[in-house]
Amino acid sequence: MPRQPSKNGQHARGRTASDAAGDTGATTASNGHASKRRRATAQSMAASQRDISVSEFFAKNRHLLGFDNPRKALLTTIKEAVDNSLDACEEAGIVPEIWVHVEQTGANRFKVGIQDNGPGILKKQIPLIFGKLLYGSKFHRLRMSRGQQGIGISAAGMYGVLTTGKPVKIASKTSARKPAHYYEIKIDTKKNLPEILNGRGEGVDIPPGEAGWKYIEKHGIEWVEVQHGTRVTIELEGKFVRGRGSVDEYLEQTAIANPHVTIHYLDPESGSDPANEKLYERSTDQLPKEPKEIKPHPYGIELGMLMTMLADARGMTLSQFLTSSFSRVSSGVASRVCQTAGLKPRASTQKIGRGEADKLFHALQETKISSPSTDCISPIGEELLLKGLHQVVPGEFYVAATRPPAVYRGNPFQIEVALAYGGTTGANRVPLEVLRDLLAECDARTLRQFLTTTFYGLGTDAADQIIKAAGFGSRTSPSKLKPAEIKRLHEAMTSVNLEAGQTMNVLRYANRVPLQFQHAACAITQSVMSTNWRSYGLTQSRGQLPSGPVTIMVHMASVWVPFTSESKEAVAGYPEIQKELRLALQSAGRKLGMYLRRRMKVKQEGERRNIFLRYLGEVASAVSDINKTDRKKLYDQLMLVAKKKTATADMRLDERGQVIEAELEEDPSVLIVNEPAEVGIRNPETKNGQATS
Amino acid sequence: MAKRPRKASDKKKADTEKVVLTDRDKKTLRDLLGLADRIVNDAQKKRDPYLEIPTRALSNVRYNKTRRRIEMGSNKNRRELFNLSQAKSYMQTVLVASGCKQLIEQGKTLSLRGLYYKLKRDVEGTKEPTFVDQGECDPVIEDVEVGLNSLREELHLYASNRGNLAGPLVLFDHATGDEIDCARMGSAGYSIPSIVENDVIEFKKCTAKFILHVEKDTVWRRFAEDKFWQKHNCILTHGNGQPPRGVRRILSRLHHEYKLPVYCLLDNDPWGYYIYSVIKQGSINLAFESQRMAIPDAKFLGLRSKDYERCELSPSVKISLSDTDIKRAKQIASYPWFEHKKAWQKEIQQMLKNGFKMEVESLISKDITYVTEQYTPARLEEGDWLD
Repeated sequence: MPRQPSKNGQHARGRTASDAAGDTGATTASNGHASKRRRATAQSMAASQRDISVSEFFAKNRHLLGFDNPRKALLTTIKEAVDNSLDACEEAGIVPEIWVHVEQTGANRFKVGIQDNGPGILKKQIPLIFGKLLYGSKFHRLRMSRGQQGIGISAAGMYGVLTTGKPVKIASKTSARKPAHYYEIKIDTKKNLPEILNGRGEGVDIPPGEAGWKYIEKHGIEWVEVQHGTRVTIELEGKFVRGRGSVDEYLEQTAIANPHVTIHYLDPESGSDPANEKLYERSTDQLPKEPKEIKPHPYGIELGMLMTMLADARGMTLSQFLTSSFSRVSSGVASRVCQTAGLKPRASTQKIGRGEADKLFHALQETKISSPSTDCISPIGEELLLKGLHQVVPGEFYVAATRPPAVYRGNPFQIEVALAYGGTTGANRVPLEVLRDLLAECDARTLRQFLTTTFYGLGTDAADQIIKAAGFGSRTSPSKLKPAEIKRLHEAMTSVNLEAGQTMNVLRYANRVPLQFQHAACAITQSVMSTNWRSYGLTQSRGQLPSGPVTIMVHMASVWVPFTSESKEAVAGYPEIQKELRLALQSAGRKLGMYLRRRMKVKQEGERRNIFLRYLGEVASAVSDINKTDRKKLYDQLMLVAKKKTATADMRLDERGQVIEAELEEDPSVLIVNEPAEVGIRNPETKNGQATS
Repeated sequence: MAKRPRKASDKKKADTEKVVLTDRDKKTLRDLLGLADRIVNDAQKKRDPYLEIPTRALSNVRYNKTRRRIEMGSNKNRRELFNLSQAKSYMQTVLVASGCKQLIEQGKTLSLRGLYYKLKRDVEGTKEPTFVDQGECDPVIEDVEVGLNSLREELHLYASNRGNLAGPLVLFDHATGDEIDCARMGSAGYSIPSIVENDVIEFKKCTAKFILHVEKDTVWRRFAEDKFWQKHNCILTHGNGQPPRGVRRILSRLHHEYKLPVYCLLDNDPWGYYIYSVIKQGSINLAFESQRMAIPDAKFLGLRSKDYERCELSPSVKISLSDTDIKRAKQIASYPWFEHKKAWQKEIQQMLKNGFKMEVESLISKDITYVTEQYTPARLEEGDWLD
């Protein structure tokens, strides 16, 4: 089917010569009568056909990297910088400490500074790392890390330069005694190369000690004094919001999944005053186990890749090549592969042609090779998952489940799930001033949209309840509320019981990085939705997230996380991944179910108790009317009997429940926060202590 | 609310503080005290307090073949305070007991409804009423009666009057000190009170030869208007459907004290059969009262299943049997006291075969005076009744 050139005009540049020629041919053929207008010829087209730089491509397609709107751009910039910092610290064996500083410099402009206490960067590498797209250490190896491609931070810098024209500023120091390096760079998008602006294109060295400080102050360089570390400052067009998909949320979620990280956060409202700093303190000094780098597994490669590898492996025999380039291929396995492929193990790799490579490829897929070693993955671990979740999400019951490592397409991966039950949603606790700010910042068109997008775990049902309780119309615009109306809304939000209308809050992580967008497209969300939570005591409509005060955190750790796009927002659904997700969710769900059933039992017992306790007073009065016994004394005695009776009921429950209780409480993957018992013996003597039930 | 000093001796009335208790009152009070003391005792020993109440159900009644009446078995139900389904009725039972104790001490009596109102309030600290309606209260009162093995009047309670009497009977009402001639009570007759024990209603003179008990007021009036009791020298009573205890007791007393045979003219339906059954051998619910109430020699005069053909009634009097009627009829047929009576089995089978039931009033469709001047005299003459 010939495509219409007019439609394709703007993309024509992106096509190869043969493509373009084919198109032209087809067009002329279909337009049998030649038009007068001069058509492009293969020659004229060739003139405009040229290389496209990666930077140019991404400058045009910045949404692919997560810069689709100002709000997301700000977040992505911070995210990329923080992720890089954490990777660097962990790789160097340093317990990370991160400073995030967001400062508003204009109506839609923000200056973002992120500093770490990492190993620092060598002088000559700095411009390349921050000023060249697709430059990095992580792409070519198979090792679990947050960054993968080496696009992120340079793309953020590029976006900043594009929107504000201000250069990216980098300061880095590798040790206390060595000078710090300071660069101001721009990206030359045409060449995909950094352009250094300061120090006559060479950057500046800041000497250590007093002299350095003076220089820093004089030039207004931002720097928190550390022995070694890196700071990147980017000024960009952005929008600062709170609530869902915000910087606050990203940092909070990062703190959950990275309990070994301390984050100092200054938001635009802090006025850059360190006193207003928000601190996420680490709950452990233990660095996560260092993931090992592994060689690719034969099941995970493609034919083209195999051919490239063969071509690279000069002077090796086939057997040598197989054993040295792949993991889990011993000489025995190699000879079996060669046998299946009909090739000699001692053949030289250079003599392998396309056809033979194809045979070899298929032989590799057919031969039974054990799964790749999984020590290349470093999961967060159940204990730290519980710790992290408990610190940030209030609740009464926490459970974590870590699956054993598994493999998809030759890439090892591991799924971890942590779940928190109970607690109230943020909407119940939001202070009036914060609500006022939230309303002023939001760009939602309706109040309902504002509520559901700003607060986690607040479904449309709950939002409608709040709106109804506050007496607003369904289409009220949130930005036009008067102060009195805001107060009314606030009252409704704090008074309406949202537990029933709450939906499960899903926190997704890939290699410890929170994923904040594209919930629906993500295999994690899909797995949560397709799990049957009803059998674990939650309510759930078909194909929906379950409702209830539940926060679930799902972490996928892998040497290569299969994202659906470069902006790393959603995990692709490979069957192996879906299976592991399902099993992990079910394992956490089962324990939640046990807890909820037990809680239900206790509650029912309590209700039963209250029913007969209710009549004690009447019985005591009537009896004392008959035989003039002391009413108070009799009442107290009956109360004692009741307590004894309920105590035995408790005990029985405990014993029966103890089996569960012991199981649940001795289980290291479970954390139960004991709140004051909500169903105790209510004393009907104190008249107001008795609520109608 | 009607308040009556209970005894002639109480009639000195004056200040309530000087209530003179009868021996029966003292016994009842002792029983009530015992009930309360047991609760205190249990509470002191930290045991679950419970009340033992004889079971009032078909499962706990026995048909005594020699005495020909229903007697209560020895099954007892435990009513526990610390039991979910019984906690409320336990409280209600204790409330009724304390209410009765107060009545006895003050020398007053109350109707069942009066006691219900006296005890009805919200359970302290809640909005839940102690009794939702009288229907919840009445069975509890019966429970206390059975549980304490005392009679309703001993608890100073009475039911509303239901049922009338007319005939050559003179009685003395100790409550008011009136002498009543039941032959001179006008067209409405003497209203039978709830408590008719000898110390309240004393029979002075009775010249009647038998008693005719009819089901309800309308039929009773028909007989009264036609001066049936004058013509046949009998006592004419009705119990407004299922006769209350006062009516049953007065029938029983007349039957036993004056040896008057009792004939019943009831509807031809399961309900009528059961009224007869209750008069004759006592009710399942109040089996403990059978001894005082049952009249094992009572006869069932009509209406009979065969009367539709025998009396050539018009088809308009047929009322077709409902499913519950059929079920109830089969249930009655299987009661031990009907089980072995061939005539009764035949009677019930006939009704089921007919597929319809009839009320006594259906005889009026033939002629206004048919029932009083032809049907009933003929049955009595022939001795055509069911036993």
